[in-house]
Amino acid sequence: MKPLSIARVNLVRFFRTRSAVFSVFLLPMLIVLLLGAMQGGASNPKLGYVSAGEDTFTLELFAILDGVDGFEVLEIEDEASAIRQVERGGLRAAVIVPAGFESTLRSGGDVEIGLVTRAEQEVQGIGDVVNAAITRQSILLRTARFATQKGAGTFDEALAVGEVAQETLPPVSVVATMAGEPFVLAGLGRFDIYAQGMLILFIFLTTLNGASHLIQARQLGVTRRMYSTPTPVRTMLAGEALSRFSIAIIQGGFIFIGTSLIFGVDWGSPIGATLTIIAFALVSTSGAMLLGALVSNDQQAGGISTALGLGLAALGGCMFPLAVLEMLSDTVYRVAHVTPHAWALEALQALVTEDAGVADIAGFLLILVGYAVVLGLLATWRLRKVLVR
Amino acid sequence: MGAAWTIARKDLKQRLRDRSAYIVGIVAPLGLALVFGFVLNPLSDFEFNATYAVADLDGGPVSRLFVDTVLANAEGIKVIEVASTDEAEALVDTEVSPLGGAGDTETADAAIIFPIGFSDDVQSERPVTIQVIGNQGSETNAGIAVALVEGYASELTSVRVAVATVENLVQEEVDRLAMGVEVLQTPNPVTLRDDTASTKQLDGVTFYAAGMAIFFLFFTVQSGITGILEERRTGTLARLLSSPITRSSVLAGKLLSSFVIGLVSMTVLFVATTYAVDADWGPPAGVALLILAAIVSALGLVSLLAGFARSAEQAAATGSMVGMVLGFLGGTFFDVSQAGGLLASLRFASPHGWFMQGLADLRSDDLGVVVAPVLAMVAFGVVTGAIGVARLRKGLRP
Amino acid sequence: MSAPAGGPVLECSGIRKSFGDHAAVKGIGFSIAPGETYGLLGPNGAGKTTTISIIAGLLEADEGSVTLGGEAMNPDATHTKRLVGLVPQDLAIYPDLGATENLEFFGRLHGMKGPELRRRVAEVLEIIELTDRAGDRTEKYSGGMKRRLNIGVGLLHRPALLILDEPTVGVDPQSRNAILDSIERLGEQGMAVLYTTHYMEEAERLCHRIGIVDQGELIAEGSQADLVRLVGHRDRLKLTATGSLAATAAALGDLAAVDDAAVADDGITLIVDRAHDHLPEILAVAGRTGSLVKTVDVDSADLESVFLKLTGRALRE
Repeated sequence: MKPLSIARVNLVRFFRTRSAVFSVFLLPMLIVLLLGAMQGGASNPKLGYVSAGEDTFTLELFAILDGVDGFEVLEIEDEASAIRQVERGGLRAAVIVPAGFESTLRSGGDVEIGLVTRAEQEVQGIGDVVNAAITRQSILLRTARFATQKGAGTFDEALAVGEVAQETLPPVSVVATMAGEPFVLAGLGRFDIYAQGMLILFIFLTTLNGASHLIQARQLGVTRRMYSTPTPVRTMLAGEALSRFSIAIIQGGFIFIGTSLIFGVDWGSPIGATLTIIAFALVSTSGAMLLGALVSNDQQAGGISTALGLGLAALGGCMFPLAVLEMLSDTVYRVAHVTPHAWALEALQALVTEDAGVADIAGFLLILVGYAVVLGLLATWRLRKVLVR
Repeated sequence: MGAAWTIARKDLKQRLRDRSAYIVGIVAPLGLALVFGFVLNPLSDFEFNATYAVADLDGGPVSRLFVDTVLANAEGIKVIEVASTDEAEALVDTEVSPLGGAGDTETADAAIIFPIGFSDDVQSERPVTIQVIGNQGSETNAGIAVALVEGYASELTSVRVAVATVENLVQEEVDRLAMGVEVLQTPNPVTLRDDTASTKQLDGVTFYAAGMAIFFLFFTVQSGITGILEERRTGTLARLLSSPITRSSVLAGKLLSSFVIGLVSMTVLFVATTYAVDADWGPPAGVALLILAAIVSALGLVSLLAGFARSAEQAAATGSMVGMVLGFLGGTFFDVSQAGGLLASLRFASPHGWFMQGLADLRSDDLGVVVAPVLAMVAFGVVTGAIGVARLRKGLRP
Repeated sequence: MSAPAGGPVLECSGIRKSFGDHAAVKGIGFSIAPGETYGLLGPNGAGKTTTISIIAGLLEADEGSVTLGGEAMNPDATHTKRLVGLVPQDLAIYPDLGATENLEFFGRLHGMKGPELRRRVAEVLEIIELTDRAGDRTEKYSGGMKRRLNIGVGLLHRPALLILDEPTVGVDPQSRNAILDSIERLGEQGMAVLYTTHYMEEAERLCHRIGIVDQGELIAEGSQADLVRLVGHRDRLKLTATGSLAATAAALGDLAAVDDAAVADDGITLIVDRAHDHLPEILAVAGRTGSLVKTVDVDSADLESVFLKLTGRALRE
């Protein structure tokens, strides 16, 4: 079983290096952790609330804003901090309530509430929300103002009467219900989304980086030496391919199990996930073999494999969930599906969000196998010519 | 120092002939920046966009006021008027994207329904209800719809309360409609002031252009300094050491060549991304200072790694690991500044983090913001570099 | 640029160097006069490379002193290094640069520049016969060409002392001869040369004086004639043979006529009193102890026999 022995030797050599252990095991986990901690997925825009005092009106306004669906309201200590966060994009906008909100109004003065936004961002929606909240709060104030203007009574008189009126009058109420489907990613935990993307990214990247090993072997004349023994080229190729594939499976398997155990990531049907990993590992292997055949300098290969690995991952939706890409732009979504990554992600996503079974993702798996076969054929053809040069 | 310069020139000559230098230094980061920029461009043009379905079953002045004035004057809102509640519901009960992106079927983010007799009921102090059905798939836009309607309801309540109050106070009947209009025209004592903040965040394209540039910088500068280990391998180090030059000048030459390579690479990327994908790095003076500081930090780190490595290969492998970790921590791949808490602070442990934040802050056009990042990066480079160079010098043997 | 006339070009004494527990050089000292070619002859691992690394200023000796042209030599003595031209055993040339570029680079490090540098480079290229291929990257050169360039770089700045460390290892016979010829010429032109090798024939051909080194010590020194006299009028017998060489050598060493016998790289080397008289006996012993002798070479004593006599081991094992 020559290919197996070749593969075993390669694996041993590979995992002896510190950098291999790091990039296969540590790094992916680190990144999933990082990303998850950043709250993956679509999150609601954040609105900052800065108040100089804690009078009733200020608290009331906060409560109203807090009750609006689809926004997250955060109390911010001071104006400077809020402005900085808006500048840096941490907050979509900030509401600045001045001191003496209540007292100024009670004494008949006007109050200006600041809404801090960035010039280039259209934040009309937020403005409306804040305006609506203010309107709701200032019903009595307006009443008192108006009554005073009309000469119907004093401010305090009007306030008192108005309060009674507000209580006794039947309300103009708003009944809000929800329909439709929640955003497709809403059901996913914050680690789930990125775990999928990172799984695919790392399988591909790690395997592709292995191509430089094949090139080194060529450079060192090792393969030529192997060829001078009664080892047909076929066997050597098989051995190399098996090496790449094993590493891919180990990488994929580790992330799969690791994220399930450590981060509680849900992958859906285990068989489905495993098959997807295997199919994608095949694609990565073929890709690595092809790269090893096309490039003759192993230092170049390092740069190329990293760039390709990261680039295809980005295009394919590993870093920004496919669902997000889909809504953003048709073009981007379509281009993503040129990469095998997108197809693998579709399968993984379906397994979780749609509770899909193997039969459901069979189509995606077939496409992946198709990629593997095409790339593999190209690689074999080229390698035969080049391997013993 | 002439010897240092001679050595640097020789290194650069060799580097120019090495294709992998171009790939790592220019092609890879540029390519990735382009890819990321392409993928992200749609995301960076954030505009508020919502579609609301309105079923005005009443048709009276009060409901019309909302539709024709409030909704019509709101920017970014598209109104679809339908004849029945069912039609409105149909438009909302769909799958839709929160950002209101492209879709084939018409969908609405929310439906607003005014019942029959709405206007009359409002004027006659009877209870009224406005119904809003939000689309779960666009929580934010739906929330805005609810807020708008509630705002209008509050206006109506204001009118009712004000009118009732005046009536009560003056103890006579009033022309409700006319007074209602007057109330509406009374300005709210609480107003909203628009404060525009400057921008201290890089747009998507620039973010990735800069992120990829500095990420790959740490790989690009390796070749010069780890070149010392390479010279040992090729045997030429012996010759260098037997030449009438000091050991320091050997090291200085290597550092110098790394510096030049880093500078060329960053400059090329700066120019290329600015013209190719409209990246906006910021005012050239500030950018130049940040780039120079970044190069110093990279040189320091690579020296440190080379000082403790046994071979060029090992130095490269360790360098990759460290480069990756620092890159991710520093937010060159994802904007960690939004993460909050520990992560956002951790990014300042990495020179990459300082670089990215420096560029982001530079958007506000205030050159002074680069002082802290430049100092931090230079300090990082000097400390690591001092240790690394000392070790390299000690170990400078054929 | 040569040393002031009248003193030795190189003077080193009491050099000691250890790497951890291993003592590589244990008190070596010798001197080289202007125009003299001095050989350091010894097997691999004798400490030759370490010694010349110290002389060339690459390493610091633990003890002892090195003086070149009257100036002290150590790793920091950049001024003294201009007097040395080093030709290391491992090729010390840049594979991705051409011969001219290599020469110009190292020339500049020696302070040469401009038209003077260019002229000298052209001169050296002529000497090492690489003028035609000077523009090609050296990675494309044959092994012999690379070695010649390696030497050329050492000569470029006209050093007072040229140090060559095993310059012909792994080189084809033709290139080897060319190299030896050029070194002979350099010697004739008055350059002092320090030459290390484990090939006896080279030492015999090139060197005025030879120092025999073994296990970090200089065990004998002198002209070839001087050294051979140490062996007396004994013959050197070389057998190429296969089989149980160790057993055979031991058995032969027991014979009365045989002074010393040791296993060499492809056979057995012996010092014998009147070899021709004792040949039949020797061959018989060989056959009895399980060795098959293929060729027999009788010669008068040479440096290999000197080494064998002094150390009981062959120069090339």
